[in-house]
Amino acid sequence: MNIIECRSLTKVYGATKVLNNLSFEIQENKITGLIGRNGAGKTTLLKIIAGYFRETSGEIKIFSERPFNNLLVSANVIYINDQMNFPAALSLKEILDVSSTFYENWNHELSDRLFDYFSFQPTQQYINLSKGMKSTFNMIVGLSARCALTMFDEPTTGMDAAVRKDFYRALLKDYIDYPRTILLSSHHLNEIEDLLEDVLLIKDGKELLHIEVEDLKEWGIGVQGPTTAVKEWIKNREVIHSKNIGLDQMYTVVKNVDSELDKQKSQASGLLITAVSSSDVCVYLTSKTKGGIDDVFIKD
Amino acid sequence: MSLSRISLQEVVKRQYTYKLRAYIQVFMSLVFIQVLGILFSFNGVGMMGTSSNTFDISVHFYSADIVVIFTLLWAFISAILITTQAYRNDDFAFITNRLSSNLSNMLFLLTISLVGGLTALLSSHIMRILMFVLGQSEYLYTPTEVSEWIIGLIATVLYVLLFAAIGYFVGTLVQLHKIFAVLLPVIFFGILILGAGTMNEAIFRNVFEFIFEESSLALFMVKIGVLAALLFSGSALLSNRMEVR
Repeated sequence: MNIIECRSLTKVYGATKVLNNLSFEIQENKITGLIGRNGAGKTTLLKIIAGYFRETSGEIKIFSERPFNNLLVSANVIYINDQMNFPAALSLKEILDVSSTFYENWNHELSDRLFDYFSFQPTQQYINLSKGMKSTFNMIVGLSARCALTMFDEPTTGMDAAVRKDFYRALLKDYIDYPRTILLSSHHLNEIEDLLEDVLLIKDGKELLHIEVEDLKEWGIGVQGPTTAVKEWIKNREVIHSKNIGLDQMYTVVKNVDSELDKQKSQASGLLITAVSSSDVCVYLTSKTKGGIDDVFIKD
Repeated sequence: MSLSRISLQEVVKRQYTYKLRAYIQVFMSLVFIQVLGILFSFNGVGMMGTSSNTFDISVHFYSADIVVIFTLLWAFISAILITTQAYRNDDFAFITNRLSSNLSNMLFLLTISLVGGLTALLSSHIMRILMFVLGQSEYLYTPTEVSEWIIGLIATVLYVLLFAAIGYFVGTLVQLHKIFAVLLPVIFFGILILGAGTMNEAIFRNVFEFIFEESSLALFMVKIGVLAALLFSGSALLSNRMEVR
């Protein structure tokens, strides 16, 4: 069963198309990573799914229903981001109590245990928490609510390395206890790739790739060697990244078509073939410009 | 996988319960503003005096009018406050849609109107006690019939509700577009300044009479009920397509 069905979804703000004909489907009980650069439309997409924003055109269905102003969707979806807002008059413990009255599947034991583990004080106020502590608290709410569709938007903002690790581990453990559909948006693909099953890569509001993480790891190969040899080799191939090294060396990343012949040919011409990490593939695929930041500083 | 299904009624009920707890500041400001109102009331609402060679009488009138007026203002401002973004976003931290959020806000405003109206009326008793204890001159008061007191209570509560409804509508307009934050006060004061002396006077006179000079309680209840319902449903309609967070 598809939890999310999205067909040519478009969202326009003024003159910019934040989401542009986005179409994808997400199946039940999968952990999907939503990856994209700043401004790619990740947050907008998640907010439309949560029913906060209205789509401009296209169709979005969550549990086969349109999410905007929908109580069924609201009751089964939780969206956690770093701009979460909780009533200022309530203490942390009271916020958890109120949440538990709303969410049917709320796991009080889990929330209490996490609350103690991360050493929150019951009487603390949410607004007085530090950025990382807020994110940690949001995460407790997100996990304990046990909603059929759980979305974390940049959940680790401000968390220190230890808490980040704990978070990923907690997420995985609770997922095993209580499988559900999880959407995780993050800049740090290398941190979360062990957690994910699928990756949805978006760029400028369009779907670029929607594949399994395992496939993404083998999606690209790096070729390094003398410039002329590399240029010859990459003819008729999809180059997603290239960089000059020194005067006569070159490094390019191309789509992996995986043929034995290529490997032999490259070895013969003295080229070095390397694997490209999935997070690098994502960076290269989503880069907005040709070349890199170095080119900004090259004055002709 | 089973999805949890929840009825609108149930969501509104839970939201209302949570708002009574979360919007505690509204009640705190009520206490503050009514104490302030009582203090100002000691200035008296009117005075008359007479004297001759041998005696000198001055009569001061005291009433809880100022407390009631302060309570009306409080209801207006509190209603605007709960339409602001921070409060609306709080709702969206939990299960909600725009309709349930509006409905629970209305229930909350109805509750604070009851509390505000009742305490405003009761404040006159506090004033009597304070007069009795602190007053240095002769103190008289006319006892009120129970039926009269109840009529007073109903009228006060309804006025507070009306002001809350106006505040909620104004607040919703401002949330819809920031231009209303400038436009509405300009219109209000513009009418006050321009309208007073010109031909429009009749209209304002009528509006004032319609709301404040109704002699039949039943008719008054219907009038305010309809007005408040119109304002609330208008706000709900306007905000039903609003994007949040």
